[in-house]
Parts: sequence; C-alpha cells; structure tokens
Amino acid sequence: MEKFGIGQGIRRHEDFRFLSGKGTYIDDITHDGMVHAVVVRSPHAHAKIVAIEAQSAMAMPGVLLIVTGEDWTREGFGTMPTKSAVQKKIDGTPLNQPPRHALAIDTARYVGEPVALVVAETEMQAVDAAEALDIDYDELDAVVDPVKALAPGAPQLWDDIPGNFCLDFELGDKDGTQAAFASADHVVSLAIENNRVTAVPLETRGAIASYDPETENYLLENATQNVHANRATFAGDVLNIPEEQLHHIAPDVGGGFGAKNSAYGEPALILYAAKRTGRPVKWINQRGESFLSDTHGRGQLSTVELALDKDGTFRALRTSTIGGIGCYCWTVGPFTPSGGAARTQGGPYNFPAMYYSSKVAFTNTAPMDPYRGAGRPEASFQTERIIDYAARTLGFDPVELRRRNLMTPDMLPRKTPMGLDVDSGNFPEVFDRTLAMSDRAGYRARVAASAEKGIRRGFAIAPYMECTGGGPKEFAGVDFGRDGTVTLRVGSQSTGMGHETSMPQILAAELGIDFDRVTYVQGDTEATPIGGGHGGSRNLEVGGNAVLQAAREITAKGKRIAAHLLNSNEDDIDFADGAFKDVKTGQSIAMDDVIEASFETGRLPEAMDPGCLDTGTVYEREIITIPNGCHAAEVEVDPETGAVRVERFWAVDDFGKIINPLLADGQVMGGVAQGLGQALLEEIVYDEDSGQLLTGSLMDYALPRADDLPEMKIAYFEDAPTAKNPLGVKGAGEAGCCGAPPAIVNAVIDALAPDGVRHIEMPLTPEKVWRAIASAR
Amino acid sequence: MPTISLTVNGKPVSAEADTRQLLSVFLREQLGLTGTHIGCDTSQCGVCVIHVDGKAVKSCTMLALQADGADVTTIEGLASEGEMHPMQEAFRDHHALQCGFCTPGMVMMSVVLARDNPDLDDDAIRHGLEGNLCRCTGYQNIIHAVRAGAKAMKG
Ligand code: FES
Ligand code: FES
Repeated sequence: MEKFGIGQGIRRHEDFRFLSGKGTYIDDITHDGMVHAVVVRSPHAHAKIVAIEAQSAMAMPGVLLIVTGEDWTREGFGTMPTKSAVQKKIDGTPLNQPPRHALAIDTARYVGEPVALVVAETEMQAVDAAEALDIDYDELDAVVDPVKALAPGAPQLWDDIPGNFCLDFELGDKDGTQAAFASADHVVSLAIENNRVTAVPLETRGAIASYDPETENYLLENATQNVHANRATFAGDVLNIPEEQLHHIAPDVGGGFGAKNSAYGEPALILYAAKRTGRPVKWINQRGESFLSDTHGRGQLSTVELALDKDGTFRALRTSTIGGIGCYCWTVGPFTPSGGAARTQGGPYNFPAMYYSSKVAFTNTAPMDPYRGAGRPEASFQTERIIDYAARTLGFDPVELRRRNLMTPDMLPRKTPMGLDVDSGNFPEVFDRTLAMSDRAGYRARVAASAEKGIRRGFAIAPYMECTGGGPKEFAGVDFGRDGTVTLRVGSQSTGMGHETSMPQILAAELGIDFDRVTYVQGDTEATPIGGGHGGSRNLEVGGNAVLQAAREITAKGKRIAAHLLNSNEDDIDFADGAFKDVKTGQSIAMDDVIEASFETGRLPEAMDPGCLDTGTVYEREIITIPNGCHAAEVEVDPETGAVRVERFWAVDDFGKIINPLLADGQVMGGVAQGLGQALLEEIVYDEDSGQLLTGSLMDYALPRADDLPEMKIAYFEDAPTAKNPLGVKGAGEAGCCGAPPAIVNAVIDALAPDGVRHIEMPLTPEKVWRAIASAR
Repeated sequence: MPTISLTVNGKPVSAEADTRQLLSVFLREQLGLTGTHIGCDTSQCGVCVIHVDGKAVKSCTMLALQADGADVTTIEGLASEGEMHPMQEAFRDHHALQCGFCTPGMVMMSVVLARDNPDLDDDAIRHGLEGNLCRCTGYQNIIHAVRAGAKAMKG
C-alpha cells in the first residue's frame, strides 16, 4: 500500500490511460445509430442572410436535417445571456447586450459564425451537403479593429446599439491619480498593444447530443470545461427545459485554457437536431473551424502612464484601454477588458494611486472570452512594460527600479488602490531569489560570448502579482464502497491539469488511506449537485478545499464511531496517520476498521446508520487569493535577421502551499510556453477590409514548438502562507502567462538598447525586430 | 469501396476504405483504434503519428489505400504483454503529459527518434519533435522523458 502526503510529487493516475491510447475524448465516443452534423459557417464578416435554399441539399444522399435561423426563430429558442461579472457602464446603466442565438438568425457578423447545421448519416455526406447548401448573402461593410469600431462613421453591427459600444468601465482613484501625475517629477507614457491570440487546445471543440423521447431527457457529451454553468444556459436559456432534463458530461478533454469555458452555439444546435432526428448527433470541429469560431483572448490597445519621483519612487499608474469583444457579449466577454485587466494593475509594486479605465467595442470578429489569465496577463504586461520603458528613457537601472518599488512584507495585509486584498507574500525575497538563481555573476561573460558571434544578449526580470477567479463554490462528495473502494466526486474539472491525482492525493493524505483506492469522478452534472468547472486557477483553491472539508467531516464522524468501538469519550479521540486514538487509554483503531464498521448497524452508535461516512459538502471561498512570483529571461537577438532566442528562463512562484510539485511544475512550464508564444510567435490577424481571418490554420498561426523553448529553471516560495483558505493554496494555473511575456519582451529591448530600440509590439517576430533595429539606426 | 489488407499491431486486418479516407480516420473509424488522434487539417500538429513499416508517419498525410500491405503500429500496440514500453514509462515518470491529446503522437515519434539515434542530446530531441505540437507541457518534461526513455531503450 502506497501512502502519500500533501506536498509530494506523486506521478499521475490518469497517465496509464493517456499513454496507452485509452483516453476517451469526445471524438472517440460512438453510439448506436449515431449521425453527423456539420456547421455551415459564414464566409463573410458582415452580411445579411437573404435566403437559404435548403431543398436540394436536403435531397442529397444521407441528409436528415438542415437547421437555419428561420427554424430557430420558429421554434422560439432563447438567447444566451452574458454572465460577465461587470454588467454596468460607468453611468450605472446596463451594458449593451445584443441577442445571441445559437446561430445567425438573419445577419452574420463574423467569418465563421454558424449560419446553418447539416445533419447526415455520415460525416462525408454532411460535408458534401453543407458545401452544396445554397445561401444568398448581401454583403455589408465590416469593422474588425475596436478603435475604428468606436469611431464615428464606422459600420454599425447592431441597429439598436449606436457606435458599436458595449460598455465603459473605470476603477481606482481618478482624481488622486491625476493629482499624483500633476506633482510627479517624471511622467512617461507608452501605447501598448496586447496582441490578440487564441488558446488552440490540441483537441478541437466537439460534442454528441442524444435525446430520449420517452423521458424527454437529453444527454450532452461535450468537450467543455464547464458542465454545470453551460447546462444552465443550454437548458434554461435556450431550450426552455428544466435543468434536470439535460445531463451534461465532459469526457476526457484535450486542453481548454479558457476556449472551452463558454456556452457555444453548436451544442445547442445538435441538442435540437438529436430531438428532431431521434438519433444521437455528433459534431466535431475541424482545426480551421476552431480558429474561426473558438473564443479569442487578449487583444487590448492601451495607453499606459507612469508617474515617478526623481529618485525613482513610483507615485501613480494610469491605464486606459480599448478592447474589442467580437459582435456578442458571449459568456463573459465584457469582463476581461474591464474588471479583468483592472484588478491586478500595478502588480506587486507599492503604488499610492492607480486608475484604470476602458471602453469595450463590438467588432466583426470571432468572440472574445477568457484565455488563460483573462486580464491579469494584460495588466502584468502593461505594468512591466511601462516600468521598463521608464527605466530606459529616464536612465534608471531596470532591475534596481523594480526592486526599490516592490511592496514589502510590513506593508501587508493591504488593499491595493484597485481593491485587491493582498494578505501575504514576500515580493522582495521572491525577487532576490530569482536574481540569485539567474547567475548574474556570469552574465557579462555570456554577453561577451554572444557578441563574439555578432549576437546581442539581453536580460529582464518581471515580478508579477495576480489573483484567482472563477466560481466561488465547489462541491466534493465521498462515497465508501463495502469492497474498500472510495469514490471522490468534485464539481471542478481537469482538462489536463491532473485533478485525478491531486484531488485524491488530498483526500488520501487527510484520511490516511491508500491513494490508489480512490476513484475520481468529474465533469458530470449528475455526479455533483453543483460544479464550477475549470477557470481562474480555482481548482485547488476552491475544489481542493472542498475535498479537505469533506475529509474533515468524515474524520469527525469517524471519531464518533471510534469512540463507540473503543468505549471512549468522543472528546478523547484524536485522529492522526490513519488511526483514531484514545489519548487517555492509548487504545487505537485504524481508519479502515472504522470504515468497515460504518457498514454494520451493530457496530455503530445509535444515531448513525450504515453508510454514514458518505459525505457531500460545499466549500465556498470568502475571498480570492493572490498568486505571485517573479520570472526572468535571458535572450539572444540576431541583429542581422531579427530572430530572437530565449536562451534561459527562471521562475520563482509563490502559489502558497504546493500540493504536488510535479503538477505545479507542469502548470508553470505550460503557462510560460503560452506566454512565450504570445511574446514571440502568436497573433490572430484579420484583414482590415474584408474581415477575413488571415491566421486561420496552424500554418499561419505559430504555436511554440519544442525548439522554441529553453530549459526553464523553476522554484517555489512557500514561506508566506495564506490564511484565506484551509489548504493554504493560492492557485498556479495562469502565472506563466503573467510572468513570461514581460520578461521576454523586456529582455529583447534590453538586448537592443544599445541600438536605440525602445519598444516593439508583440509578437516579436524576426521581421518586427529587424525593422525596429533598422529604424532606430 | 475497395478493401485493404495490412498488419496492425502485429495482427493481419482487412477492411473497406473509402477512396478519400485518410489513414488516421481509417484507423479510428474502421478499426476502432482511437488512440491515434486528429488535431488539425493541415498536417501540422503530429498528434496522429504512427509507425508505418518502421518509420514515424503522420497518419493524416496518407490515404488509407496507400497503407495496403503495410506494417502499422499505433500507440495501442506499443506496450507488450501489459508491460508499458520504456518510452511510455518515461513519459509518466517525468510528467511529460497533461491533457494527453498530443501524447500518442509524441510517444510514437520519440520511440523512432530514440531508436534511430541512441545518443540523442536535448537539441536533437527538440529538433526531432518539431513536428509534434503540445499546448500543455511547455515541452521541457517531454525532453526529459525522451532522454530517459532513449536511455532505457538502450538497456
Ligand atoms: S492530425 Fe495534425 S498532423 Fe495529423
Ligand atoms: S499534453 Fe495536452 S497537448 Fe500535450
């Protein structure tokens, strides 16, 4: 029997399945009589749908059903409302929200918007019929750039939403910030674009819907990271059926990173198709379709201003942003460029005053929703970039300028000017450890060695501070089987992060039982009454604490049973290392014996029934936690070609208590890789005139490959525990996207400082870097 | 529909294949071997890598008909008699997978890299895996795993 504790790098439960090809992803599932759906997507960025002639496509071999906007209207299905945490404009009126149906009703507003659904016996037949479907469009002018969308005279997306305006937003002390700017010795200002990117989980989106006419119940198996919330939308908002009639399951999900969070239209369409055809209906996106129709992220244009004193002390930070969100509010689209990017402005620095404001525009592009970090990476990048820019233009050492302005432990706890409760952390210590790790002593020699080859070398350090998010409540249920099995059901969900390992690890450690005995269940609306799914680095913080709470409720019940069996006083029973012990008599009884006794009436105290150890509990977070850390990068830049190589990378992260360091490492490395992708490679580009997506395949959209990444060195800082939750965890999933982009971009600027380069917009492609060098000379 | 005959994971099989069917789809749909994944439509991602006559091949770059008479190994055929292949073991030991979607292709590619070059260094591994995307791991643990797996394969 293997016993493991919290903090151990246990290898993963789920790996046997994945390594042997036995994972069950959505496309691996088939049902008897299953048919196939293909989504017909708009080829235009903005067009009236004049007519859809479906008859001839309907007559093609194998075709069973064609669904159009007209059908949808006739059925009276509802729209999908946004659940953005920010719902109001600055003047207090509600944000502008256009009606979002599962498919375009009479106007298509982005390339890739669903316009019809074709269902046929085979996928090939559905593809052929979809291609033959005759749709008459009347093209309209399109606008893809949010700044242009808000400008007078821009093409209008919605008749009753003038100026394509969704909402405006502000946070912080406007006047105090203005006063600080007015009296500061220095003010620097920089326009910074946070490039639009997309998550590209390697498994595309897809789902299978089934309908049982007898019970009138639906089953939706879906590559989603959020079964409960999306069930509420599909059942309650769209189909107008009680939630219990829709059983929503996520099988193994091949990555999500935010792109599988939302309630998309396609699952709603196939739920309807399943009822209409009486057959299970499968839909799987092609990769090209996913680029067109998955939610994108970031995509913010900001003016960032920093006020500081002669000696370099920060006085105030001010950011104003314009963000585009596509033509709908989608699930939480308006939040990222408003509250999402506002909260963590200023990072771990001691800013006496801050002010953030933004405007959010509708555009003829794919929807925007969370992508790993959802606003915090933007805030971190804006803060770090302007500090770096200030250091270079005013002649401060960039490392020193940062170090001297960090919040110190004696300032904590504090509420930042952005309203974030920072309870714990030691930012200077984390900063110093990162510096110590990064071999500054050897740096000069490395610069010289690079120079020998005609290559520039640069270094940058990027402290960050972010926060968790996502649903505040989580359910954990534990069921004991007579055969010794233990089933753990939790409403949070892994799309690769390894909950099947980390969550049983917590339970097993608390109960002192064998880790391998625990079976893990997730992603199933019938397995847990509520569930927050995946998002905002919430799993250990909310789900992990729910498991801990369940374990503690179990041991409390176990104490009563143990007291009964040992003829002891319940108050005298202690539980440790998997055994209940009477501290007075020294007698003890193992957890396993107590579990066994829990099934036998004769061995239980009067008020307890067989099966009494089974437990279901809901944990609710009171307040979000503050993950923080410091990343640093050393890069080489070839001035002849503009090519950038990240040579070295270091990260020291304060995620609070580390439950499983192996899994935490995975989160850091994966996040850093995505951060590197945004910094150097990735960008969603639309053609300004036609609104066509120019980066619609893996040939045009550059994902980081194995040889783009350096060997990263990772360490954790666990000496500033948080008391915000019993496990003492702070969240790990999104840190890499906050730390890596500023570390890498600022290191490139450092390398090119002698050439006079002061700023390059992400992604730092060879062409952009080469042009920046050429124009600085 | 024409019928093709080939050896898959050591067993002879015959099945019908549509003339425009890709080998990746044939393996998944006709033979039920869903361990070979499909992640793109432009042969860029590498999640579909299998062995065809001993070579690592993106199975979405071949028509099923082209595999007539071939000897094919998929991820399902890598372990022998319930024992994981040393490369599979190494991936688990080094936490070289998260969502697992890239994993079958990544492992199949790595086995061939290690077989063809027993003294792989990190650069060679990174270069050799250029055709295999992973969005979860940042590759580092994959590199470590392949290094260890290659060593174990040498015995
Ligand atoms: S499916 Fe992407 S390379 Fe074959
Ligand atoms: S483990 Fe998810 S793509 Fe590689």
